[in-house]
Amino acid sequence: MGVPSRSDDHQWSQQHLSHYVEGELGLRARRRLDRHALGCVDCGRGTKAMRALVYAVQGLDGLAGVRAPATIFDRVRLATSGGSPSAQDV
Amino acid sequence: MAPLAGRRAPGPAGTEASLIARAQAGDVGAFERLSGAYADRLFMLLLRLLGERGEAEDVAQEVMLRAWRGIGGFRGTSSYFTWLYRIAVNEANRALERRGRRPPSVPIGPDELRLPGPATDDPSRQAEFNELRRALARALAELPPALRTAIVLRDVEGLSTQEAAEIAGVGQAAFKSRLHQARMRVRAAIGDEALVTSGG
Repeated sequence: MGVPSRSDDHQWSQQHLSHYVEGELGLRARRRLDRHALGCVDCGRGTKAMRALVYAVQGLDGLAGVRAPATIFDRVRLATSGGSPSAQDV
Repeated sequence: MAPLAGRRAPGPAGTEASLIARAQAGDVGAFERLSGAYADRLFMLLLRLLGERGEAEDVAQEVMLRAWRGIGGFRGTSSYFTWLYRIAVNEANRALERRGRRPPSVPIGPDELRLPGPATDDPSRQAEFNELRRALARALAELPPALRTAIVLRDVEGLSTQEAAEIAGVGQAAFKSRLHQARMRVRAAIGDEALVTSGG
């Protein structure tokens, strides 16, 4: 196998930014992206932007004080006014 | 972020396993106790996926009804939470198909975004940050349902890739691909400059 060209590295790096910030790349793959990003403004900025994006989205509170409506079991109660659950698929 | 916030096991009067067994035997009280432990979080998920409170309430009722009707077939190969969430994602997708359009333009209002604030009192920095919140809300709203589901489950809900993939009903490789696409689209919509300068 030949050495990947710079354009190969660029495309590959862009395709793996998400995995990179997840820490899912192996050591060799991580080094490949690090090496490429050192000389590529777009990918260098891309890694920072992807980290910032994940941080920002993770900052959304999963609950934010919202409560489920009191009516959430209404249909279940209506359905059980006369029977037990069946084993049908959902 | 607290990845598992709101995900609490039923209390001491009944372990989850015993509540499942009782619910499978037809005890609706046990079912409500079992599923009620996840109700707030499940409802918030539906709000994020559907964007409209009225529709989320309707779908939440349908999710519980389907869970009740299906609990006899629950075999415990996944956690009850994962099983229930999967029903919720399926029902949300059905609702979106019925709706025949994407979620409203900004279903998650900026005021509902609980982003950690910038460590500054600088008004211009705060303005940049608020603009990032609005842009993020718009970008998430514009995603197709499958990509939106991926980023909500993994990044907002903080689920593991394995669990999120199971809930989304796809393999882990396919899920990672969706997540990557979702992040790349949001990144493109917001722009690297705005993300790096406002989000860091």
